[in-house]
Amino acid sequence: MVNLRPSLATCLILGLGILPMIGGGAKAADEIVIGEIHPITGPATFYGLPESRGVQLAAEHINKAGGVKVGGKEYQIRIATEDDQASPTVGVAALRKLVSADVRFIIGPLASGVAPALKPIVERNDKLTQLIDGTIAENMTNGKNIFRNQATVGGYNVAVAELFKAKKYPSVAMMTDRFHAGFMNSQKDLAGNLKELGVSIASEDYYKLGDTDFSAALTNLRGRNAEVLLIRGYPAEGALITKQARQLGFTGQVVWEMVSPPSTVLKNITAAEMEGVYNCIPPTTEDYVKLGDEKAIALDKAYRAKHNEGPGELTALSHDAVYIFKAAFEKAGSLDNAAVNKAMAALMVSDIPELVTRYTPQPDGRLFAADGQVDLRGEVSVWRGEAWEPARLTD
Amino acid sequence: MMLELLPQQLANGLALGSTYALVALGLTLIFGVLLIPNFAHGEFYMLGAFVTYALVATGLNFWLAMATAVVLVVLIGWIVDRVVFQPVAAAPGHDSGGHGSGLSLMISALAGSIILQQLATIIWGTEARTIPAPMTGMVRTSLFTITYLQITIIATLAVAWTAVWLVLHRSRLGLAIRATSQNRDAALLMGISMTRVRLATFAIGAALGAVAGALLGATFPIYPSMGVNPVLKAFVVLVIGGIGSLPGAIVGGLVLGMVEVMVAGYGSSQFQDIGTFLILVAVLLIRPQGLFGRAQVER
Repeated sequence: MVNLRPSLATCLILGLGILPMIGGGAKAADEIVIGEIHPITGPATFYGLPESRGVQLAAEHINKAGGVKVGGKEYQIRIATEDDQASPTVGVAALRKLVSADVRFIIGPLASGVAPALKPIVERNDKLTQLIDGTIAENMTNGKNIFRNQATVGGYNVAVAELFKAKKYPSVAMMTDRFHAGFMNSQKDLAGNLKELGVSIASEDYYKLGDTDFSAALTNLRGRNAEVLLIRGYPAEGALITKQARQLGFTGQVVWEMVSPPSTVLKNITAAEMEGVYNCIPPTTEDYVKLGDEKAIALDKAYRAKHNEGPGELTALSHDAVYIFKAAFEKAGSLDNAAVNKAMAALMVSDIPELVTRYTPQPDGRLFAADGQVDLRGEVSVWRGEAWEPARLTD
Repeated sequence: MMLELLPQQLANGLALGSTYALVALGLTLIFGVLLIPNFAHGEFYMLGAFVTYALVATGLNFWLAMATAVVLVVLIGWIVDRVVFQPVAAAPGHDSGGHGSGLSLMISALAGSIILQQLATIIWGTEARTIPAPMTGMVRTSLFTITYLQITIIATLAVAWTAVWLVLHRSRLGLAIRATSQNRDAALLMGISMTRVRLATFAIGAALGAVAGALLGATFPIYPSMGVNPVLKAFVVLVIGGIGSLPGAIVGGLVLGMVEVMVAGYGSSQFQDIGTFLILVAVLLIRPQGLFGRAQVER
């Protein structure tokens, strides 16, 4: 009798311990876990948080509509969120945490510094499939298990070249964030493309995130008579350079090449000082809303209803990423990574009617090129009043 | 062509150097009198900017907001001294004058700096923003252009230096502060209240940091870690000008600003920071006590 008591207690403890595991196991069997790595805190929150929310929103809509049908079985999507703070070290730790929790499908990251740190880890792991929805740095995909539904910096530069061609600007001074891997790696190509258009490169200057005084380089602009000041980087510095250039008497055209939410822009420069500034990036969520796109309007409405503010410029890409995974799971008929990778590479743009972003299909109609990259081209927008709007270059 | 731009580059250097000097002024006072390498001075600067921003956002006039920010940051400065520095100074093994070892004070200062940054992040988030400028417009001459706000910053630097000089040289409190800075033990033996000196020094230092933050926050973006770079530059200014020297802080700031602008303007902006630290090394080699510092003789 005395000996029986510990055994009963042990059985009870074990039983109580095992029951939830059985329940959780049964539940887990009906779930597909997608990990998302974005900067939820830190200096890039204003990009990362709206991306994370876009992912959550898409998963909720898919689950409400019946989930994902894989091999005759229905699954619910569960999102596992990790915050990389836009830091490579934190990003690698976030990925390892997801991998150790057996998460095999990843959306993200945003930062151009984080993506190269994750790439070798993902490439070596055949139990991982990554879909990048943020960084524009070149050579981040492999078409095997790393794909991207965001543009490359080359896609941004297409719009810069179009603008210069249409406006026939004779000269340009370039100021580039020297720690932005994407912009720095494409600097030479962009300068070469502009030269081919007959544009004279008056100067190429560099700055870094957090710099506050650009007066010396901007004063030199006056001596070099550049028609255009092209700023490549992030909006806080973009706003400051624009202000200081005007103060120092630069009267030419200012062109930005950066994702720059109007709310962030207006915290750093007045709307009047921004009037007429061009920006060369692919259309954002807000642009699609302004174009009257029904899917973008629905996303905008759902986002505002849930978060009491408008979506971010990259929200549509993150939202699309979940639908791309859903389509790949269903096409593969399996959750095995090799099958999902194969299905992902074979996806047609027409397979995913829910996509908000207007990707240009590959010549055979596929979404991704052989290297896993979508064709998403920059377009020129112009600041009017309180926000960006699509520019008409023939004016 | 490049020489034609020299007057503008000199004006740029003067404007930039004034911002460095304004931040360095408060730092040199606290370092010179209390021997505290106050890394949290960058956070006094940051809090001055954010409190002004928050008050201006409620509709308060910029100058009133700045005055309120100065009072709040002085209070925060006292709290930082009481919580971060005084316990270290009072710990066993430190000298009778209530001064901790340089290393422990430096570590305490870094801890205080990080805590204040985190608090600001929780309150205001990390997104960069700028305080709406209290004045717009600029003076344009045939040789150079300078904004009214830059002129205000230069004028504030002159006023701040004059005010601190008057306090230090024309008041009993100033006499006590100077006596403490020259020989702490002798000052104690003469009956000078160290608490009073400490409170006054921190108040003046924090107030100068807050004024710098409010004014520069109307020019540059503000964010919780905005104080890190200026305080590093301010330490460079202190080395150039001489630790504890007010004229040294001003001349050091102006020299640093001029050198950075000239390197970026006539060399490359990529070498701007290299220029800064080359000057630092040169001063340490040629005149280790700085331009206005006194050589210390070990006896």
